[in-house]
Amino acid sequence: MTAHRFTITETLKHLVLILGAIVVALPFYVMLSSSLKSPGEIERNEGGFFGSQALMVDEYCMKRGEPEGFANGNVSSETALANLRESCSKRPALFNYATAFSEAPLLRYLLNGVIVTASIFLLQVLVAVPAAYALSKLRFWGRDMVFSLVLICLLLPVHAVALPLYIVLAKLGLTNSYAALVIPWTISVFGIFLMRQFFSTVPDDLVDAARMDGMTEWSIVWKVMLPTAVPALLAFAIFSVVAHWNDYFWPRMVLTGDRSLFTPPLGLDEFRGGGGDGSLYGPMMATATVIVAPLIVAFLLAQRRFVEGITLSGMK
Amino acid sequence: MTTASVSSARAGLLFVAPAVILMAGVLLLPIIAVAVLSLTDYSLGSPEFNWVGFENYGKIFSQSRYQGMIQATLTYVLVVTPLSIGLGLGAALLINSLRWGGAFYKTVYFLPVMATLMAMSIVWSFTLHPTLGIVNQSLASLCNVEAMQYWGWFHRSCEQGFPLWLGDRNYAIWTVCFVGIWQGFGFNMVLYLAGLTSVPSELYQAAEIDGASSPWERFRLVTWPTLWPTTVFVVTITAIRSFQVFDVVHGFYDQGAGPSRSAYVILVAMYEKGVKENLIGIGAAIAVLYLTFVLILAFVQKSVAAKREQVA
Repeated sequence: MTAHRFTITETLKHLVLILGAIVVALPFYVMLSSSLKSPGEIERNEGGFFGSQALMVDEYCMKRGEPEGFANGNVSSETALANLRESCSKRPALFNYATAFSEAPLLRYLLNGVIVTASIFLLQVLVAVPAAYALSKLRFWGRDMVFSLVLICLLLPVHAVALPLYIVLAKLGLTNSYAALVIPWTISVFGIFLMRQFFSTVPDDLVDAARMDGMTEWSIVWKVMLPTAVPALLAFAIFSVVAHWNDYFWPRMVLTGDRSLFTPPLGLDEFRGGGGDGSLYGPMMATATVIVAPLIVAFLLAQRRFVEGITLSGMK
Repeated sequence: MTTASVSSARAGLLFVAPAVILMAGVLLLPIIAVAVLSLTDYSLGSPEFNWVGFENYGKIFSQSRYQGMIQATLTYVLVVTPLSIGLGLGAALLINSLRWGGAFYKTVYFLPVMATLMAMSIVWSFTLHPTLGIVNQSLASLCNVEAMQYWGWFHRSCEQGFPLWLGDRNYAIWTVCFVGIWQGFGFNMVLYLAGLTSVPSELYQAAEIDGASSPWERFRLVTWPTLWPTTVFVVTITAIRSFQVFDVVHGFYDQGAGPSRSAYVILVAMYEKGVKENLIGIGAAIAVLYLTFVLILAFVQKSVAAKREQVA
C-alpha cells in the first residue's frame, strides 16, 4: 500500500517537473528548429523539428545573380533564369546558417566577443590576484582601509556609474573602441574579495618558505599562491566570461555606430524586426543559435564547474 | 623593523595600488559624479551647463512618464522576485526528493541562466508572435477542444483572437516579467539545492519522533529554518537583479519602452534619457534613484542577516 502510494507521488513529481522542463526548453526548441527550416515551413509551422529540407530558392542569391544572368547574350533569358534558379537552390538549413554569416559579419562579432571577454578576464586577474595576496598575506599601512573599500565597492551596482563612465569615455574620444568595452571591467571587486578569502586559507608557512628560498613577492603571487587557488580561479573565470559574453547593456552604451566592434548580443540587432512575413526568421534564429551555443555547449560539458562559477556570487 | 618586512610592506602597497586606483576611478568617483550631474542640466557637446538643484528629481516624481517608469519597474521587481524564488524553491524541493532523474531537470532549468538573454528575448518574441508564433498557434488549435471552452478567457480569445503578448499594453509588462522568471528561477533553484544539502538528516528523524509526520510539518519545522539564510540572500540578489532588467525590453521593442511605454523600466529610461536623448542630468537623476533602490535592498539584507546572527 505505502509502496504503491509512493510511486504515485513520484510520478506526479516527474509530471510537474516535465511540464516545467517543456516550458523552459520551448524557446531553445523553437530557436534550433526554426534555424533549420525554410521560410514557408516557419510560416505554416510545419515540418516537425528538422523541416523537410526540400531544396529552396535563395532570393538573395537570385538578386545578386540576375544582372549577370541576363548579360549572357546568346542564351535566352529564360534558360539563364532557370540556370540561376538551379544554382541558387539550397537546403534550408544551409541557407539559414550561410545567410547568418554572410548578411552580417557574424564571424567578426564572435571574434570581438572572444577578444573582449578574454581581455577583461586577463586584466581582472592581473589586478585582483596581487591585491588579494597583499590583503591576505602582507602587512602594510592602510591594509584594513583598502579592505573596507573593497567591501563598500561590493555594494555598488555597476549600472549606476554607467553614465559618468560613458561621458568620460566620450570626452576622451574612446567610445566605439575596444578600450571602452574593456576598461570599466578591469577591476573586479568581487574577484579581489573571492581570491582574498581563498588565499586566507593558505598557510603562512608556505609563503615564508618561498621567501627563504629567495623568491620575490611578485613571483610568490604567481608561482606559489595562484597554483593553490586554481579551483577558485576557474570558477571566477566562468563567472566573468559568462557575464561579459552575454552582456548587452554596456556594449549598447558605448558602441554607437561602428558595427565592426559589435559583440555577439549587439549583432542580433541586424536581423531584428526584419521580415514580417517570416522570410528572415530562419537566418535570425541561426544567428541566435550561433551566439548562444558556445556557452550552452561548454555548460553541458562541464556542468558542475559552471554551476559553481555562476553561483559564486552566492558565497559572499 | 627587519628588511624583509619593509620590502613586504612596500610590495603590499604596490600590489593594491592598481586595484585602489581603479576602484576610485571606475566606481567611487563616478558615483560622486553621477550624484553631482543629477543636479545639473549637463549634456555632451554643449560648452556649459547650469545648476538646476533638485529640478530633475522634481520631474521624476511629478511627470507621468516617470511615474509610469517607477510603476513598470516596481511591477517587474515585485512580480519576478517572489515568483522566481518560489519556483526556484519548489523545483529544488521536488528535485531533491526524487529518487532518480533529478540531474536532468537541474540541467534543463539551468539552461536559461547561461543563455545570452538578448538572443533569447528575440527568440521569445518570435515564439510569442501573434500569427507565426508557436504559442498562439498551439492555443488556437486547442479551440476545438470542448472542455477548454468553459474557461472564459480562453473562449473569448478563440472568438476574438489570442493576445498580442508583446504588442498589447495590458500584457506587455507581464510578458517581460514572464521571461524574467523563465530566465532567473534556475539560478535560485541551484542556490536552494546547495542549501538543502546542508540540512542534517538527523533533524528530520528527530522531528518525526516529535510527531511531525506530514511532509508539510517537516518542511515547516526543519527545512525552512535551515534554508532561511539562503532565502535572505536569494531575496536580495533576485531583487537587485530584477532592478537591472534591460535586455528583455530592448530585445522585445526597438524603441525600448513597449506599447504605451508600459515596459519603460528604470535602466531603459536611464539609457534613453542619458545616452539616446543626451539629457545627462535627468539620466543621472534616474541612476541615483536606481542606486538608492539597490542600496536600500543591500542594507536591509545586511541588517536582517546580522540580526539573525545575534539571535543564533
